[in-house]
Amino acid sequence: MDFDFSPEQLAVRDLARELFEKESPPSRLRELWSGAERDRSVWKALGQAGLLEITDPVDLVLVLEEAGRAALPEPIAETLAIAAPVLAEAGSDWVPRVASGEAIVAVQLGGAPFVVDAGDADLLLLERDGELHALPHDAFTATPVQSDDKARRLYAVNAHTGSETRIAGDAGVALDRGAAAVAAVLNGISMRMLEMTLEHVKTREQFGKPVGSFQAVKHKLASAHVRVESARAAAWYAAFAIGAGLPDRSLAASVAKVVAAEAEAIANAEALQCHGGIGFTWEHDLHMWMKRGKALEASFGTAAEHRARVAAHVLSEQADA
Amino acid sequence: MDLRYTDEQEAFRAEVRAWLRAHVPKERLPTVGTREGFDAHRAWEQELGRAGYGALHWPVEYGGRGADVVMTAIFEEEYAIIEGPPRITVLGRNLMGPTLMVHGTPEQKDRWLSRILSADDIWSQGFSEPDAGSDLAGLKTRAVRDGEDFIVDGQKIWTSYGTFSDWIFALVRTDPEAPRHAGITFLAIDMRSPGVEARPLVQVDGRAGFAEVFFTDVRVPATQVIGEVNRGWDVAMATLGFERDAPSAPAGRFERDVAELGSIARALGRDSDAGVRDTIGSLYAQALAYRWHTMRTLTRLARGERIGPEGSVTKVLWSELERDTFAAGRELLGPYGEVLSDEAPQTDPLRWHSKYWFSRAATIYAGTSEIQRNIIAERVLGLPRK
Ligand SMILES: Cc1cc2nc3c(=O)[nH]c(=O)nc-3n(C[C@H](O)[C@H](O)[C@H](O)COP(=O)(O)OP(=O)(O)OC[C@H]3O[C@@H](n4cnc5c(N)ncnc54)[C@H](O)[C@@H]3O)c2cc1C
Repeated sequence: MDFDFSPEQLAVRDLARELFEKESPPSRLRELWSGAERDRSVWKALGQAGLLEITDPVDLVLVLEEAGRAALPEPIAETLAIAAPVLAEAGSDWVPRVASGEAIVAVQLGGAPFVVDAGDADLLLLERDGELHALPHDAFTATPVQSDDKARRLYAVNAHTGSETRIAGDAGVALDRGAAAVAAVLNGISMRMLEMTLEHVKTREQFGKPVGSFQAVKHKLASAHVRVESARAAAWYAAFAIGAGLPDRSLAASVAKVVAAEAEAIANAEALQCHGGIGFTWEHDLHMWMKRGKALEASFGTAAEHRARVAAHVLSEQADA
Repeated sequence: MDLRYTDEQEAFRAEVRAWLRAHVPKERLPTVGTREGFDAHRAWEQELGRAGYGALHWPVEYGGRGADVVMTAIFEEEYAIIEGPPRITVLGRNLMGPTLMVHGTPEQKDRWLSRILSADDIWSQGFSEPDAGSDLAGLKTRAVRDGEDFIVDGQKIWTSYGTFSDWIFALVRTDPEAPRHAGITFLAIDMRSPGVEARPLVQVDGRAGFAEVFFTDVRVPATQVIGEVNRGWDVAMATLGFERDAPSAPAGRFERDVAELGSIARALGRDSDAGVRDTIGSLYAQALAYRWHTMRTLTRLARGERIGPEGSVTKVLWSELERDTFAAGRELLGPYGEVLSDEAPQTDPLRWHSKYWFSRAATIYAGTSEIQRNIIAERVLGLPRK
């Protein structure tokens, strides 16, 4: 039993962190918020750095955390964590194009009403009646939908599926991959919200001292930290279980999503509370992370849906026993 | 990263499980709050010791099995899952023994270590006092040098297993003039010394679990000072470090407890209630996350790293999970929660009742949640002290 990352994996994380900071700083997010067009420059940079070739879920999980820390507005979880393995298992000829960064894939699973980045996607992976379909760009239409997080581009999709679009694969497994990946992204978002808040409370003074010296403030941040740390362990475990094909991978994915969403909701609430009024302004960066966090809480299964799956596991296990 | 257990570890788990199944007493032992019950628990600990499960993690040179942290955790987990009797050796085995290994003289090690292992000596921890709980350095129990001895006067409180223990390791004030932390000494005291009186304190759950311990002119040989006189604070910090490093609540236990919530829900016909399922789903998810969190900790310990203040994260996680799990059980039981007799739907109402109330202490003992959060905020997150 060894629950840690290798020096190589940590090096890839550091690379991702630097790259995301450079290619997708808060100022870039703000441009997207103001309606700037998306281009492929960031995706190309990810490809050049080799990040889009990562296939192992454990190698990827720290990159996903970093994507959350940066609130990266790119479909890295969808393309790499969900679509790439599905396409590889189906023996699709899209695989090399994904790895090289030539293709972006949007994903619609579990009856999700809107699809993130569908308008920019070269391929759409979707679930219909429990079966998976892969549709190239010209086989579907994507209509933009206004969203709360302006850097998260959502689309309503109109797609005609048939036997010619069907690909082999298990939609349930794909959803597990999605839940586990989004959990890791959520954890990164929580970490960043806490980092911003720590910085703020160490410098913001009231009553002649930093507000971070007040115990009520300390305890809120300590509580959030406790939950985020266990949520990270859960997301890492889920990545491992999926990569190793363990029998508990589906349970692990739901657990990861539940605890990540619960921890993020706490971090989200306490981050704003501890920022006070400044945190409620559009000018401050915090809200861009708060909004991404809230959006992802409901993505690839809400926490409540995943809690129900976990409960079903607990209760059916007893029936079997 | 490889989260699978090795074949050797799996084999060890199977061995432990089989042994515990065959040997854990079928009938619950009488409570440790009576002499008879305490002796029954001691006998059980001696049986564990003879089978080689006394102190797995102790080095072979001290009579342990030299097991690594993972094997030790496997044992603790199996023990928790089968709900073996409470371990009255816990303070000697996990706190005093390791403290002696680091700070004890050769004579002290010879004298006490093997008797801790064989459960011939049961130790208790005399840190807390009526006016010094969270603020441990506020302790007042005095020890005054008199020739080759110290004369101890004062009182300890909330001393787990204190009523019938053989020895107590206590913090005493040896220099009242020195700054708070600099005048404290770590002393081993024989509970049978004249002038020691232990009075059982009945806990909220109705059991006499801990004691108040009074010292009146108790003569303690200076050879029983652990470490140096007036340097007891450092020794105590090492002791608390052992308490914090070990993932104090084995994973697996919470999964079992949440599963039991499931059977209560079933017995009450409420297992399809969406609210009940939501709670069970959340608690079980947290229980598994706790398991994986402790695997991360074990990996670090196995490499010889110390956990330090991050150990407080683990304490908050398990104590609040325990509290929340049993709180959910009490709520689920509704009017059956207060019933102690067999009309209740749970298989063992008394057990559930006692576990519920004991869970209410989890956020108090071994450092309250507030103190843990202070540690996390200041020493992990770097927030200013003042
Ligand atoms: C079941 C049980 C078994 C125990 N076993 C032992 C044992 O074997 N040996 C032993 O020595 N002790 C033992 N204890 C004692 C335990 O360690 C203390 O109860 C604990 O440290 C808290 O101290 P206190 O009870 O004096 O509470 P106090 O310190 O008086 O605390 C009261 C409240 O004030 C809060 N508080 C105190 N200081 C601060 C602060 N700085 N910031 C914020 N909040 C604060 C606390 O969190 C708590 O909520 C046991 C306790 C229990 C309940």
